[in-house]
Amino acid sequence: MKLLEYKAHEVFHEYEVPSIKGFTVSTPEELEQADGKLDYPVVIKAQVQTGNRGKAGGIKFAENREQLLKQGAEILGMSIKGLEVKRIFITEKVDIDKEMYLSFTMDRKTKLGVLIFSPEGGVDINEIVEKNPEKVAKVILPAGNEIDDFILQYVIDKTGLHQSYHDEFKNICKKLYRMYVRYDCLLAEINPLVITAEGQLKALDGKVDIDDNALYRHPNIREFRDEITENPLVLQARGFDFLYIPIKDRGNIGVISNGSGMIMSSIDLISKRGMEVTCALDLGGGATADRIQEALKIVASNPQVDTVFINIFGGITRCDEIAEGVKQSIAEIDTNRLVIRLEGTNKEKGLQIIRNIGGNIELVDGLYEGVDALAEGMEK
Amino acid sequence: MSFFVDENTRLIVQGITGREGTFHTEQMQQYGTNVVAGVTPCKGGTEVLGVPVYNTVREAMERHEANASVLFVPPKFLYGAAYEAIMSGVPLVMTIAEGTPVHDMLKLHHLAKEKGVQLIGPNSFGVISPGKAKAGFMAHRIFSEGRVGVMSRSATNCYETVFLLKNAGIGQSTVVGVGGDMIPGSTFVDVLPFYEKDPDTDVIIMIGEIGGSEEELAAEYIQEHVSKPVIALIAGKNAPKDTSMGHAGAIVSPDGEGSAESKEEKLRAAGVHIAESTEDILRIVKTLV
Repeated sequence: MKLLEYKAHEVFHEYEVPSIKGFTVSTPEELEQADGKLDYPVVIKAQVQTGNRGKAGGIKFAENREQLLKQGAEILGMSIKGLEVKRIFITEKVDIDKEMYLSFTMDRKTKLGVLIFSPEGGVDINEIVEKNPEKVAKVILPAGNEIDDFILQYVIDKTGLHQSYHDEFKNICKKLYRMYVRYDCLLAEINPLVITAEGQLKALDGKVDIDDNALYRHPNIREFRDEITENPLVLQARGFDFLYIPIKDRGNIGVISNGSGMIMSSIDLISKRGMEVTCALDLGGGATADRIQEALKIVASNPQVDTVFINIFGGITRCDEIAEGVKQSIAEIDTNRLVIRLEGTNKEKGLQIIRNIGGNIELVDGLYEGVDALAEGMEK
Repeated sequence: MSFFVDENTRLIVQGITGREGTFHTEQMQQYGTNVVAGVTPCKGGTEVLGVPVYNTVREAMERHEANASVLFVPPKFLYGAAYEAIMSGVPLVMTIAEGTPVHDMLKLHHLAKEKGVQLIGPNSFGVISPGKAKAGFMAHRIFSEGRVGVMSRSATNCYETVFLLKNAGIGQSTVVGVGGDMIPGSTFVDVLPFYEKDPDTDVIIMIGEIGGSEEELAAEYIQEHVSKPVIALIAGKNAPKDTSMGHAGAIVSPDGEGSAESKEEKLRAAGVHIAESTEDILRIVKTLV
C-alpha cells in the first residue's frame, strides 16, 4: 500500500521525524477556511497516486489569500493522468540550502533491511545512483529493531555530510528506521531530505509503502487504502476477499483463476497468442459458490470485457462450487463468451452442473485447449 | 530416498484442532503420513483423529520425538507458532498460510538459519514425496511416484505441471512448495542441494515467477554446484510493472528489477533449460528422462 504524500507526512509526524508543516483540503468550503493556518508563502500540492504531478500543473505556490483560493480551486478537482484530484496538501514553503536522499527498504537477496543515503537528492534514486554512484551509501543492516550508531557514523564518513548536521541526521535515521520496522514498511523514503536556510534537517516529501499483509496491525492505513482506491471493481472485489487486478486499458478478456501463479500463466499464454487480457481476478483458495458468483459479476461488469475465461485447478478450491457459482450468476451477466476449464477436486461434479446450465458456455479440457478456444473465437 | 518428508517422518500438526488443520490431518493420514502429535494452545489433553493434542510444541517433542512440523495457523499467528517450533528443536518447519507480514518473515528467515532449521513457506502447499508422505494441503491425487524433482513458488502452476507429468507417465521424487511470498523461509538455492544429493532425483524442475532475485541466485548456484539437468519456468512475463499479481513476492519494480527477461537470461547462461509454459516443461522433461 503506497501512501499519498500527506499520509506519509502523518506517519512521519507520528514517529517524530521532522517534516514540514501542512494540512489537507478536500472541498471548496475547506479551502475557504485554509487562509491563516500557515504563514505565506505556501505550497499547494495535488494528492494523486502518480508521479510528475508538478509538470501536469499539480504543484503551485501562493503568496497570499487570493492566490491560495485561486490556485487551490484550480488544482482541486483537476485531472492528472486521468486521476481526479480529490485532495490537496497545503504546506509551508521552506527555503532550501540542500536536497538529500534517505530511505530504508528491504534487500530481497540478503533478506535484511538496507539504508540508502545520498547527499544529493530531489530526483529519483535510480537517477542519483546513475549520476554519482560514489556519493551514495548503501548499507545492509543487521536484523534488529534499532539501528546502531556506528553504522550511521560509517554512512556519514562515506558521504561527507558536514559535521554540524551529524546529530540531527543520526536522530532522523533512528526515528525513520523505527517507523520502517513498526509500521511494517516495504519502503520508508524521504526525498528530498532538506537542509533549510536555517540549518535544520526536514522531510520535504516522502514515499511510504506499507505491507498489505500487515494492515491488520495498522487499521488507520487499512481505512486510508479503501478511501483512496479509485477503481470500484478493485474495491468490490476486496469486499469479498478477492484480488482484482487491472492489467491493460485495451483488451477484451477477463481471467478468473484460483491462484496467482495460474493467473500469470493464463495471461502469458493468452498474450503469446496475440490476444489481450484487460483484467484478472484471483479467487484465492477455497472460494464457495456464493462468492464465486460475485467474482464473475465483478469481472463481467467491466465494460471492456466481452469474454471471460475461468481457469481452475482446484486443490482446496472445489470445481462443483465454481460451477454452482456460474449457475447462480449466469442470468445476470452479459458477456459474449464464457470459456471454462475445470480441473482437480470434484471435477466431474462441476462439469455436470455446467453441462446442465446449457446455453453457450464453452467447456474446455485443459489450460491449452482453453487458450486455443479463445484464439479460435477471436478469429471468427 | 527422497527428502524432507517420507516414511520416516514423525509429523506434528500445529493448529490441528482448527477446521483446515483437522481436515488436512485426515488427508495426510490417509496418504500415509505418520502424524504423531498435534499442538493447539489451551486444547492440550484432547485428541483429534487419534492424534494426541498438546499445548506446546516442546511437550509434543518430548513425548514423541517428532522430526517435522506443519503449521495450519492463520497468518497473524504464524510468527509465534513458527518461533515456538524453531526454538523447540524441530528440524523441519513447514508453513502454509497466505498473507504473513513481510517483517515477520524477515525475522523468522534469520532465526531459522541461525538455529539450523529448515523453514519452508509460507504461502505454500507444503512438501510431498509421492507414494511416501505429504505435509501440507496439496491435492495429492495428481502427484505420482518417480524421479523428477519439482520446486515451485506457485501452487497452481505446480499442480498444472505435475498433472501433465502424471498423464505422461512421469512421476516425482519430492515436490517442494517454496511459496509465493516476498521473503520465503527457504529459497530455491536452499532446496537445490537436496535435489542434487538425492539419488532418486534425475531432473529438477524449478517453477519461478517475476519479482525478487531468487531465480538469479539459483542460476549462480546451479552453475557452480548442480550437475543434474534443471528446467525452469518463469511465470508472469506479461504482468504489468509495479503491480502485485496476488503473490506478495510477484512484483516487478518500476525499473525492471525482478523481470522474467533478466531471470531467464541468467538461468540460460547457467545452462538451465528455459520452458515457455507448463506444457513446454513436459516437452523438455521427455527429452531428459
